[in-house]
Formats: sequence, structure tokens, C-alpha cells
Amino acid sequence: MAIERELFAKMVDFVQNCIDGIMIGAAYGLLAIGFTIIFGVMRRLNLSFGPSIMLGAFFGTWAFLTLNAAPWMVLAITIAGTVITGIYVERLCFWAIRRDATIASMVSSFAIWMQLDEVAILMLPGRTYPFPEMFVSGGLNFGPFFVRAEHLVTLLVTILMVVGIRLLLYRTTFGLALRAVSESSDAAKYMGINPSRITFLAFILVSLIGGVAGYLLLATDQQVTPYFGLWVTFKGLIAMMLGGMGSIPGAIIGGLVLGIIETQTQWYLGNAFKDMSAYVVLFLALVLRPGGLLGQGIAERQDLAFRRV
Amino acid sequence: MLTVGDVFTSYGMIKALNGVTLSASEGEITCLLGPNGAGKTTLMFTIAGILRAQAGSIKFDGQSIERLSAAKVVEAGIALVPENRLVFPTMSVEENLEAGAFIRVAKDRAGVDDDIERMYMRFPVLKERREQMAGTLSGGEQQMLALARALMSRPRILLMDEPSVGLAPLIVEDIFQIIRDVNADGMTILLVEQNANMALSVADKFYLLEHGRVTFEGAPGELEQDEVIRRAYLGTE
Repeated sequence: MAIERELFAKMVDFVQNCIDGIMIGAAYGLLAIGFTIIFGVMRRLNLSFGPSIMLGAFFGTWAFLTLNAAPWMVLAITIAGTVITGIYVERLCFWAIRRDATIASMVSSFAIWMQLDEVAILMLPGRTYPFPEMFVSGGLNFGPFFVRAEHLVTLLVTILMVVGIRLLLYRTTFGLALRAVSESSDAAKYMGINPSRITFLAFILVSLIGGVAGYLLLATDQQVTPYFGLWVTFKGLIAMMLGGMGSIPGAIIGGLVLGIIETQTQWYLGNAFKDMSAYVVLFLALVLRPGGLLGQGIAERQDLAFRRV
Repeated sequence: MLTVGDVFTSYGMIKALNGVTLSASEGEITCLLGPNGAGKTTLMFTIAGILRAQAGSIKFDGQSIERLSAAKVVEAGIALVPENRLVFPTMSVEENLEAGAFIRVAKDRAGVDDDIERMYMRFPVLKERREQMAGTLSGGEQQMLALARALMSRPRILLMDEPSVGLAPLIVEDIFQIIRDVNADGMTILLVEQNANMALSVADKFYLLEHGRVTFEGAPGELEQDEVIRRAYLGTE
């Protein structure tokens, strides 16, 4: 009897970790979608994606600290700040640098990253700042399981956004153009599509997605540091690689897998192993399934990209 | 209908076009022959607004188009079927056709749907494969798709860059029959082609391009066929 009860308790822990992992993983998935869309249209990694979300969040928390802004205002300012920073990054690292200079724009997105970190530190010197909690708190009990209200909001918002992104990509002219540019920006140009314009709009789109994801993550944690940018870039990139580059369902699955593995590791091995588990999983995934869990392999994608020449 | 007057285009330091003058008449197939590196594709890109001419004029129906962006050139009624086809490989056949109609799909959804049906009538194999990813089509089917996709913008002139490249001889015959059919329906075509034999069989008029200049122009039969072909492949040394 005692053994059975113990086993049951262990099962409950495991499932509870999976639930928590899915909730946090949903936000990772949103970040991965941001990376995937930009990689799709540009064939370049935007390393500054995380830091631009971090800076947006700093605007949000600054408004909270100095103007005592309400939660929904903090959300709006975080998104707006991320979009403005995203446009800045796009103009400087991508628009200004020739399309074929892949390495140059990746390096410059790294340089901008450092710059954004500096701006955040100048704006709010110090390490850790409180980030206001969401308009909801508490949680819900489902039998033996508990779900935080913030997590529930994260999951719901993610589902809504993924549905919205899918509709945008597959049901609108903008989505058609964005996918055409992702497949072959040259051919898209011959159809009368302006790839620079589509890229600009794509940056605004991913900044919106990133701003929302950043807000959800920070309002759950209720604190923000300048390292948040690094953290977002890592989580987003790992989730994207896990799922397979260039695939939106892959990005979500990659995010969920990463979230679940992290929560399980944290529970069974301790906090210190949480981030390490992410790297181990990424390494294993790259060795065993270099194309990611879903979608096309990177190699094939790059083959497609190079075939344009 | 389309006149190119003394056009110069460079890639950085390299001069690709050194004063090209030619014209394509309405309803005709005009062929551009010449060896590799003669500037044929450069000329196509310059007309299409992908590359900027340093000097010279390009007129389409009397309107100057040499300063227009690629998108405006498509809107003016010029469509390019690029070399190597460049279909959107992981988009379906139908989505490729929709993308071809990008400039008008938002304004004229019903017209675009009608045109897609019309393309399916002309190219039944595309209808069979409408849900299939374009990258999984055979080379000939991809060429048909690239042609149909270009027609979706309702152009008045079609620029075709090397439609025979990488295709088996029998398929090349098919493609050229389609080119004849499209032309018979009234489409003006400017055709760049390495396969001089095939090109001369459909051309109303042809130009020889060498080192970025037109070195000969005429109708098929005006120059000894062998001579044209030799020069088209090898140039004059």
C-alpha cells in the first residue's frame, strides 16, 4: 500500500512537471517562431532578437517603476519597445547590409546585441529589477495537479498567437509574399514582391510575437535582468534547432520539448542542471537528428537557399 | 512594343552590356542568342528592373520603364520566367500560381481564381498536381509551372530566360510547343536561349548578342543556319 502511494506521488510529480514544462515551453515556442520567421525570409540568424525583447521589457519595467504603469500598460510598452528596437536592428544589421553578406549581418547583429545591453544598463543601472505581475494571479487545481494562472494565460495566449500566425501566413496576401520570399527571394522579386519591404514587415511581426512572449515569461518570473536577452536568444535558438529550422509547428514542438525537459531536470537533478540539460539535449538532437524533430533538415534548407544562385 | 535603346549595364567594374539596341514587336517571338557571358540574362534583368541600366532607354508601349522598380515593371505588364525556373519549392502548385498573381491578388481575388482555372485547362498536369509541392515536380512540369506563374500577372510581354536548360530533348520539344501555343494566343515573347536550333524554329526575329553588344539581327534564314548556330555557341573570335 505504502509503495503504491509512493509510486502514485512520483507519477503526480512527473505529470505536474510535464504540465509546467508545457506552459513554459509554449513561450519558448513563440520565441522559436520569431527566429524561424526571420531565418526564413533572410537566411540569416538575428542574434539580437533576444536582446531587443530584453530592451522592450526594460522600457516596460521602467514605466512600471517611474510612472507606476498598470499591467496592461506595461504589456503595451514592452511590445512597443520591442517593435521599435526590432526596427532599429533590422535597419542596421539587415537592411543596410547586402543580402548575400550573411556573416557580416550576423556579426553586426551580435554587435547590436552588446549595444542594446549597454542601453538597458544605462537606462536602469544595476542587475535585477522587479517586473510587474500579470493582471491575474493564483491558480487552479485539477485533482492532484496545480496550474499557475500566469502559466494558463501563457498557454492560452500562445495558442491564440499560433492560430493567428498560421492564418496570417496561409490566408493573407502578406503571408503569401512572406512565404514566397522565404522560398526564393529572387523569384519573389520577379513576381512583383518587394523582399526588403516584406522583411521589414516580418521584423515587425516577430517583434510583436517576441514582445508578447517576453512579457509572458517575465510577468511569470516577476523580475528582469540585462541577461534576459542572452537567455531568450539561447532558448529560442535551441527550441528552433530542436524542432527543425524553418517550420512553425516544429518551433512549437521544439519549445514544448525543451520546456518539459528543463522542468523535469530541474525537479530531479536540481536548478543547477536546468540550463545544462538544454545544451545536452541540443547537442544530442544535432548529432542524432540534425534536421530537427520536424520539418526539413537544415542541410536541405540551405541546399534550397544555395540553389537560387 | 518593347524597345531597348543603347543600354549599358555593369556589375560593379564589369561591363556586361555595352550599348544594346533591340526591339520586340507585338505578337512576335523575338529570340536572343549568344554564347555564355554575352549578357543575355543581364539584359533580361535590366528590362525587368532587377538591375539598373547606367545609360540608355527602355520603352514599353511608349512608356519609359528604365527607372521603374521590379514590382512596377511587373505592374506595367512585363513578366519574367527565370532561368532554372525558380519555382517556390515547398509551396504547392496552386500557391505558386497565386504568388505569380501577387500584384493583383488582393484586389481581384475572383479574377485570379478564374485565371488559375484557365492555367489548369492549358496545363492539365498542373491541375493533377495542384496540392503537390512544386519542388517535387519534374523539370518539364516545373518549367510549365514557371511559365503559368508568370502568366498569372496578366503580362503583355513574357521574358523567358533559357526555358530549355536542364531538360531532356523530348521535354524541350513540348516546352517549345507550349511557347508556340502561348504566342499563338497573342502573347509577345522575348526569348533567351542557348539551344539555337530550337530557338530559331520558333523565332520571328532574332538577335545575336556578343560581349554585351548586338552583332547581328535578322529573321531566321537570313544568315546561314550553321553560321548563326556557330556564333551563338562560340561567338566570333
